Amino acid sequence: MSYIAPKDYSQDPEIVAKIMRTISGQLDLSWMKKIGERASFRPSQPARGLTLDDINHGAYSPDRLPEVVRQNFSMAPRGAILPEGLPSLGYRLNRKSDVWADVAPQLFEEGKSRRWAPAHDVPWTALAEPGHSEEVAHALRQLSTNLISIGLVACDTAALWEWRTNQEFHEIKYLMCVQMYDAARIAEAFRKRSLAGDGQLGVDCPELGDFLKAIFASDTYPEASASMNLLLFSWVQALSRHLEFTATNAADAFLGTRLAQDATRFIAYGVDHIRNLLHARPVEAQRLDDHLDLCENALVGALGAPELIEPLLILSGGFEPVAGLYERTVNEYFARCSAAGLGDRRSRSPFPDFLRMLRS
Amino acid sequence: MAIRFPSVEFFQALQQRTKDEKARFEKLGYCDTTFGVRIGKDLFTIAFEVYECVHVHEGGDPERLDFVLTGPPAVWNEMIAAIVKGKGADGLHTLNTLSHVGDVLRVESVDAEGNDKFYRYMASLQEFFDQAQHLDVKLS
Repeated sequence: MSYIAPKDYSQDPEIVAKIMRTISGQLDLSWMKKIGERASFRPSQPARGLTLDDINHGAYSPDRLPEVVRQNFSMAPRGAILPEGLPSLGYRLNRKSDVWADVAPQLFEEGKSRRWAPAHDVPWTALAEPGHSEEVAHALRQLSTNLISIGLVACDTAALWEWRTNQEFHEIKYLMCVQMYDAARIAEAFRKRSLAGDGQLGVDCPELGDFLKAIFASDTYPEASASMNLLLFSWVQALSRHLEFTATNAADAFLGTRLAQDATRFIAYGVDHIRNLLHARPVEAQRLDDHLDLCENALVGALGAPELIEPLLILSGGFEPVAGLYERTVNEYFARCSAAGLGDRRSRSPFPDFLRMLRS
Repeated sequence: MAIRFPSVEFFQALQQRTKDEKARFEKLGYCDTTFGVRIGKDLFTIAFEVYECVHVHEGGDPERLDFVLTGPPAVWNEMIAAIVKGKGADGLHTLNTLSHVGDVLRVESVDAEGNDKFYRYMASLQEFFDQAQHLDVKLS
C-alpha cells in the first residue's frame, strides 16, 4: 500500500502561506543558521581523489555511531541536522555490528575504481579461434550458465538487505549497491560468454539452485553475509582462478582474472564483517555456524551435481585437477572462516567427508 | 644497458614503468598491497599504492607482507623470458596459472586476508610483470 503523508501539502493553509511568504521575498533562512559540525575535508592522497575515508571525520565519522541506532530511522544522512517530524523508513538493520566492516569504505571505492565493462573490455574476438575442442566449448557454456544464476542471486541477496539497512550505515549501503553492480556484471559477462558466437545456454542445476536459495532465504543479514560473501564467493573466486588457469584464449583468461578480483571484494567484506560482528556479539557464532552447516551441505550437492562437476572434468582434462580445485577451495574457505572468528569449522562441516569420498 | 633478473634494479625498472604507463595502470584501478617476490633465496619487497608501484627493495619481513610469490629461479626466469618474447605473459606463464595449483609458484601468507590481496589485484600485478616486455632483460 502506498504511503500517505500526514499532511495534505498542496492544500494545507499554513504551508501555502509559507510558500507565498518565500515567493514575496521574505526568506526564512533558518536552515542556514543550523549548520552542523564544520570540518575541513581534503583528499589524503590526491591521486586517489576524495574518498569516503577522507570525509569520515568528526560528527560525520562512523566511529561515533552507537552499537544500536535509535536516533534516526529516516532518510536523513548521517551527520545532518534532524528536525522534528522526519518519517521512519522502517529500517530493520539498526545495529552497527549487524552490518559494519571497517574495510567497507575502501572496498566501495575500490569496486568502482576497478570496474570493467564486459561489452568492450573483454577481447571477445579471441573467441573466433578459441583454442579448445567443442566439448570444452560446451563445458564452458555450462559453467557460464551456472555463473549467470550465481550472479543473479547474489544481486538479489544484496538488494534484499540494502533497503533494510539504516542510512546511518551508508557506507555499507553504498557497498551493497556496488555488490549488486558487480553481481549483475557476473551475470552479464557470463551470459555473453555463453552466447557469444554460435553459443547457447546450458542446463540449469537444481542443486545449485538449492544452495543459492539457502543463501537468499537467510533469516538474518549476518547469515546472508556469511553464506554469500564467505562461502559462495570463496567458491566463485576459486572457480574463476580455475577458468583463467584452463583458458586457451585471451577472452576466457580475461574473464577469469576479472571475476577473481570481483569475487575477492565480496570475501574481504565478509571476513571483516563477520569478525566485527563476533567481536561485538560472540553469541552470534552458534547461529552462523548452524546456518553455514546448512549452506555447506547444499554446496556439497552443487559441487557433486553433473551440471557442475562434469564440465569441470572436461575443462580440466581429468579428475585429479578437479579434486585439487575442490580441496584448495575448501581449505581457503576454512582459513577465511577462521580469520573471521568462526574458528575451525572442519569438525562440523560436511566438506571433509565429501573430499574424502571424492578421493575414495 | 641490460638489466639483470633477478635484481632490485629490475624491479625498480618495473616500478618506473607503472609511472610511464600511468593510464594503463589507472584503468586497472586502485591497487593497495605490499607483497614479496621470492626467487630462490632472494626476497624482494614491492609496494603498490593507489595506481602505481611506490617502493621496491631487496629483503623484507615476510610476516609483514600481504603475500609472497615464491618459486625457484628457473620458474621465474622462464616466466620473464616468456613475457619478453611474447610481449606479455602467454596462457602458460601468467601469475595465476603458475600459482594456481601451488606446485610451480606458491602464494605464501600469514593470514587469509593478505593471501586474498593477490587475487583482489591480480590484473594490476600481472600488468606490472608484463611491463618487463619493454626492458632489456638479462636473465641470470
